[in-house]
Amino acid sequence: MDMLKIKHRGRVAQTRIYLGKFFRMFIFQNDWKVLPMSAVIAGLVSFAVGANLYKTMEGTLMGSFALACICIWNGFFNSIQVICRERAILKREHRSGLHISSYIAAHMIYQAILCVLQVFITIQVLNFMNVVLPSKPLITAIPVLDFGITLFLVTYCADMLALLISAFSRTTTAAMTIMPFMLIVQLLFSGGFFSLPQEAMPLTNLTATKWGLTALCAQGDYNSLPMVSIWNSVVKMKNIEYEGQRPVYEMLKYIEENDMRDEILMETGKQNQNPDYAFDRDIVIRCWKWLIMWTVVYVALAIFLLEFIDKDKR
Amino acid sequence: MISISSVDPYDILRQIVLYLFTGIGYFGIFRKCGVKGIWAFVPMAREYHMGLCADKESEGKKLSVITGIVLVSNFFIFAIDEEYIEVALLLAIATIALIITEVIFHIRILIGLTKVFNRSKWWVWPLWLFESITTLLWGYSSKFQPSHKVDYVDESVQVKELGTNLKATDQGLSVNIKERSTIQFFKKKVLLKDIHMNIPKGHMVLLLGGSGAGKTTFVNAVTGYEKAKAEIKIDGSNVYKDYSKMLYDIGFVPQQDLMRENDTAILTLSDAASLRLPSKVKRPEIHKRIKDVMAQFGLSAASGTLVEKMSGGQKKRLSIAMEYISDPSIFILDEPDSGLDGIVARSLFTRLREIADQNKIVIVITHTPDRVADLFDDVIVLAKDSKRTGRLAWYGPIKEAYEFFGKDSMEGILSCINPKDAGGEGRGDEFVEKYAARLQEMVG
Repeated sequence: MDMLKIKHRGRVAQTRIYLGKFFRMFIFQNDWKVLPMSAVIAGLVSFAVGANLYKTMEGTLMGSFALACICIWNGFFNSIQVICRERAILKREHRSGLHISSYIAAHMIYQAILCVLQVFITIQVLNFMNVVLPSKPLITAIPVLDFGITLFLVTYCADMLALLISAFSRTTTAAMTIMPFMLIVQLLFSGGFFSLPQEAMPLTNLTATKWGLTALCAQGDYNSLPMVSIWNSVVKMKNIEYEGQRPVYEMLKYIEENDMRDEILMETGKQNQNPDYAFDRDIVIRCWKWLIMWTVVYVALAIFLLEFIDKDKR
Repeated sequence: MISISSVDPYDILRQIVLYLFTGIGYFGIFRKCGVKGIWAFVPMAREYHMGLCADKESEGKKLSVITGIVLVSNFFIFAIDEEYIEVALLLAIATIALIITEVIFHIRILIGLTKVFNRSKWWVWPLWLFESITTLLWGYSSKFQPSHKVDYVDESVQVKELGTNLKATDQGLSVNIKERSTIQFFKKKVLLKDIHMNIPKGHMVLLLGGSGAGKTTFVNAVTGYEKAKAEIKIDGSNVYKDYSKMLYDIGFVPQQDLMRENDTAILTLSDAASLRLPSKVKRPEIHKRIKDVMAQFGLSAASGTLVEKMSGGQKKRLSIAMEYISDPSIFILDEPDSGLDGIVARSLFTRLREIADQNKIVIVITHTPDRVADLFDDVIVLAKDSKRTGRLAWYGPIKEAYEFFGKDSMEGILSCINPKDAGGEGRGDEFVEKYAARLQEMVG
């Protein structure tokens, strides 16, 4: 029969068809709203924790964690509903010859562009808010590009995780129920910001926040920064009296009079260095590899799950 | 961390004894409900059959699976070496969540049991908290009787079958379904059986059947979407063997208008054309085809309109056009007239008639057949037999169908074959056998 010899559009052509469809959805539907939202979030985070980012160890840790959180948030919201909201349509199209791999590939390209735009917006907002960004090149010759790549990889990894949740969920309600739970896991198991028991540390490898936080700290040369929390604690104790004297106050006075404060802060930092956050190319590359690896895993799982879409109840 | 070596064997023994003791109570309850008592002592099977007795089969299935996972998970938690404490910890957290789910499903089933036994819902508490004692009371006291028993299919009933394939035709659709079954929870469920027909090209066929008679299953089996033990041929080509190619020759329009609401009609159709038309078709040809189909379905004026702004009738026509764009030989529509008024529905079916007249096969499922019955050539009547399997009660011209069933309307035919519990006359078996005999006579 002639029909058996007829060729239909392959995976690449189908990907192009769906890519066009998604960009139309971006305009006609509400998908474009994720862009202004990313600007607002970046502004809020800059306002709240931007002042000490890449200036002190504590500020860098907190700021890097907040930046990783922005990325996770943006990534999750980009794609948490994109598949489940059109699951029935996808099932129909799969029945008509759509390749699931093409559908996911189109999503990957579309979401990648969205993530790049969000990272660009975030960096612009950080600059606008006068937040200090890494100034020393590590992987590429442009420090802000290294920084941007890290933000992109974390956002994209979270985006693909949300895509997986969307592929797994039958309804948007189910996806939105799972999302906060996944957010908590990402934040809690970042490994750097919250102290976790040693037994739980292997679990941190599962999160994009850990690799994002580590890369951002390493790129900002965390270990070369001063530590201020101990100094601040000591200042709070300056009025403590012991046998009619104020020894802490005397010590602080001596340090200030001899202009030794910065030296002390640097020394405190030196004593609290974290080898994981060293200004080392290998560390950043390792973080990027982990992020890419998880992205690939999430995509593969999403394709695998959607291949069974025909089994959905009628 | 607990390891398997530190588990108290007496504790395990105590739990097993308690499980078996509770089983004695459920043994009595199961027998009262018409379920084999032995299942009361088999983990997982007990939970499933509890669901059956409580008229909550779906919950029973879920509870059974959850119980199985919890059992396996518990074993691993205790078996895992202290060296992998974090794995055991993670497993324990997941198990706690599962146990909570297990309790919820258990309570749901117990509520179902109180309903079946016509007792107050307060009985759920003793049933849950003092399960062993309460189930003994329910299982062996004559005061506790279920309002109805588990409804099993009588396997001894045999409804006559044709039992042989019809010779496939070279022109048109040949359907020879021996059986379409699924395995659901260790039980084989036959959804369709012994369906044979040859539909010539140019015919518009009505697919008639009551709820659960297997209309959608039949359609899915014919299109190759859900494969059956069958031989389906279109113009002599086997649909199942060449499914990836043949699927473009079969258009299936689902009941719902499954299209992206925020896209325009023309772009929706354009994407459908790009996906379904052969790759050798050039852009200008595609555009021409889109334009022609838009005109054929009366959508030209609405081409730039967003799908969400279109009327119900327009959406339905667009949904049909999406499948028709690839010019399939077989066109199947699942309730295309749902939600449409009589005039719009009639106009839609007239268009389908025109499609059939282009030497194509159009099969339509509809729940309001009488308003458009004159437009059809043939009717397929599917009926549930006494084993609740979808069977062929008729395939042939509409007029002959009226004579065969002794009715003067399609709804009359439907009422005649529908089971009594669905408000019908319950004569499904009679007509399935009558048709099988007629077919046997015809094929010799």
